[in-house]
Amino acid sequence: MADTTTSVTLRPAGRHRAAGRALDHLFAGLPALWLLGVFLIPLGFTVVYSFGHSSFGGVKLGFSLDNYAQALSGFYLDSFLRTIRFAVSGCALCLLVAYPAALFIARQTGRLRTALLLLVLVPYFTSFLIRVMSWQILLARGGPIEFGLNLLYLHSGPLDVLDTQTAVFIGLVYAYLPIAVVPIYIVLIRIPPALLEASRDLGASAWQSFWHVTLPMSRPGLATAALLTGVPMLGELVIPALLGGDKGVLMGKAISQQYLATQNYALGSAMAVLVLIAVAVIVVLLVRLTRGFEETGR
Amino acid sequence: MSAPASFTRRSGNLLLGLCYVLVVLFLFAPIVTSIVYAFNVGTLGKQTSTFTGWTLDWFASAWNNVSLRRAIGTSLVASFWAALIAVIVGTSLGFALVRHPSSTVRRLLSGLTYVLLIVPETVIGVSLLLFFAVTGLRLNLWTLVAGITPLGIAVTGLIVRAGVLTLDRQLEDAAADLGAGRWQAIWFVVLPHLAPAVLAGALMSYVFSFDNLVISSFLTTPSINTLPVYLYGSLQYGPSPAVYAAAASVFVFTIVLVGIAGLLYRLVLRRGAAQN
Repeated sequence: MADTTTSVTLRPAGRHRAAGRALDHLFAGLPALWLLGVFLIPLGFTVVYSFGHSSFGGVKLGFSLDNYAQALSGFYLDSFLRTIRFAVSGCALCLLVAYPAALFIARQTGRLRTALLLLVLVPYFTSFLIRVMSWQILLARGGPIEFGLNLLYLHSGPLDVLDTQTAVFIGLVYAYLPIAVVPIYIVLIRIPPALLEASRDLGASAWQSFWHVTLPMSRPGLATAALLTGVPMLGELVIPALLGGDKGVLMGKAISQQYLATQNYALGSAMAVLVLIAVAVIVVLLVRLTRGFEETGR
Repeated sequence: MSAPASFTRRSGNLLLGLCYVLVVLFLFAPIVTSIVYAFNVGTLGKQTSTFTGWTLDWFASAWNNVSLRRAIGTSLVASFWAALIAVIVGTSLGFALVRHPSSTVRRLLSGLTYVLLIVPETVIGVSLLLFFAVTGLRLNLWTLVAGITPLGIAVTGLIVRAGVLTLDRQLEDAAADLGAGRWQAIWFVVLPHLAPAVLAGALMSYVFSFDNLVISSFLTTPSINTLPVYLYGSLQYGPSPAVYAAAASVFVFTIVLVGIAGLLYRLVLRRGAAQN
């Protein structure tokens, strides 16, 4: 109430308002223009080129679906489907590992809670490459993990994990785990304790309360976590190259090869557009999953 | 009824605690490894997975490696300019996300911000490469700088947005009432309030640009090479421990910057809390 009256009496004069509007347009226009130049227009080029005809040393613009036909057949289709499978399973694994950790952090209070969250988050801000390349040492034959597993009698003899799919999955979960914990943690701390008390009073066991109250309530956080982890996995380039050996090419590598080695820009563009379509499908699915939470959540 | 329930609850908590500890070990094992193995003797100048002894030589050898040093130089310069641009553009984005009078514009801008965060970097990288190839722009330091700005802009935009949300609008109105123009109000009232958010955004942009590998790997040339791209290249054929020594030094550098950014961000949140 008081708020509206003061803002009416203190409203700046017309001259100022016109200047203010120009300034508002400047603030919105600067990022819009810059991102148009270095982000949206280049993406547009990729879309346009994906419909072109590739010829030696260049692309003739036009409208053909040949590149998509090629990208969706044989070797390229295999790597597209493999990439989707990798992203889906990598993302599921990531959520599976992140959820208990997030739940544990959310059940603490005060400074301890913040400290526990930070501990998980800090690695995400350190160099991606350094974090991934160390797995080459950790997983290699004669490396620390082989030593540790042998010591605990969990494994005997040399460890053959490096340059396999398992190593790629370890790398994927590892690289995106911190960013999966945060959104799950945020929804978990917002679940009203009264709900859990009510379910306990009605005779639910700890497991039943979790299954019927906590887990359904954390759907939006799980969706955000899936988005933040699954989407970058679709374009992942570095982890498979460093940990997966040369077996099973994923889209990231297939696309970059079209640009850097084969120089078939049209085909590479079509594959990049396919990845973008996959991203869009994921976004739509996840938005549907969380529908209805805007009104009832919090 | 209640005794067994509390028992399962306690053992559940214990299990969760164990999961958490395992997650933290998992997250820190590679970081510790990369630092420890920077001191590994190795064999015949190559890194080995078995630890063969302690030495400090690799730090000297990393320092004496001319192409490594040039890559570090390029990274420092390129991420400086990228962070500077990201801070100017991102601050203005963060402000417009909250304060632009038209809700359509606000919605478009926030859509754009989220798109920036979810388009895979490989796709951004090849698109930029194609764009520069078609328009005939030769790859140089500036095409690299421009290419890595979007990530920093999105991050700065979101941090500054959080800062603007804690800013009391009446302060600006009061400034206007006392005769300040909009520019003056922003310069003398809004910006000082947003300073921690802007600085945190600048540091995060710097760190993200410095670490950027995927986009940079498409935009670097033999003469303009950044540190992550150089390290990535040398990992393909049995790296020397010097690579790890360089990486460990970078790690310390990054952690310090992130720490400062974190402290500044806390200041932003605390100011917000103090005002509400």
